[in-house]
Amino acid sequence: MKIARKQMKADVPSVAMGDIAFNLLIFFVILARAQDDSHLQWQPARAEHLEAAESKVGVVIDNQNKLYVNGREIGVSQLAGEIEKALGDLPFGQRTVLLKVHKDATALYYEPVIEAVSEAGGDLLHVLEEERK
Amino acid sequence: MSIKRNTSKLLVEPAAVATGDIAFNLIVFFLVCASTQPDSGRKQSLPSSEKTKETQQDKQNIELALTRTRAVVSLNGDPVKLPELRGRLQRVLEGKTRSEDRVVVVKSKPDVPYDHWIAVTSLVQDVGASITIQREEEQTVTVGN
Repeated sequence: MKIARKQMKADVPSVAMGDIAFNLLIFFVILARAQDDSHLQWQPARAEHLEAAESKVGVVIDNQNKLYVNGREIGVSQLAGEIEKALGDLPFGQRTVLLKVHKDATALYYEPVIEAVSEAGGDLLHVLEEERK
Repeated sequence: MSIKRNTSKLLVEPAAVATGDIAFNLIVFFLVCASTQPDSGRKQSLPSSEKTKETQQDKQNIELALTRTRAVVSLNGDPVKLPELRGRLQRVLEGKTRSEDRVVVVKSKPDVPYDHWIAVTSLVQDVGASITIQREEEQTVTVGN
């Protein structure tokens, strides 16, 4: 007589689902942060009468005078082409380029960037902090 | 005399299983909050830049020279204290109605910090003038008002 083997159940415990989702989320958040420019170190200059805007293109000059387009480091000579590519065929009025320059960066670094945005046909928006009196 | 009933109190604890879900929802909430905050700043309309030699027209425009010194700027060659710049600019622009007459050429030394440049160009825009950047290698960029 054959004795039937006892079948063992090997289910993934459903209790762990929350933790799995949590870890997945952290993974994708870190991945997303690496692609945008929120990890870059820069301090905005201050001014009055600011307006809000959104854009597909963000140019950053960080506190070490390094230049980034949408979080990717780039040389100033490639900047105009890169902005043009990112803006594509967007119509006038939607070609805003967000310029985030560290407050202590010098003209040697930000003037060529302003020129490149102009060359690419972008509408420049200097990202600043509201001055409170 | 009242008689106390000996009722057994049940300890009610939130299920530990839900902690993961709570954390998940909290993260989603803060993530959404963070990503919807728009950037704010000052707009400058930028016509295409052009490489120009110094022309007679440049000499007719208002010229504003910036150096690292924050307190003083040079307006048409005269030193002006920054708090007085708005008034001086308004006086210079008086009677000039055509947009091409209300152009201010901003010349900055390479060591001018961005916050100083923004403070001055914001002021120029606030008085209704257009800005043109003139770089040392004679490249002119018009940045509107």
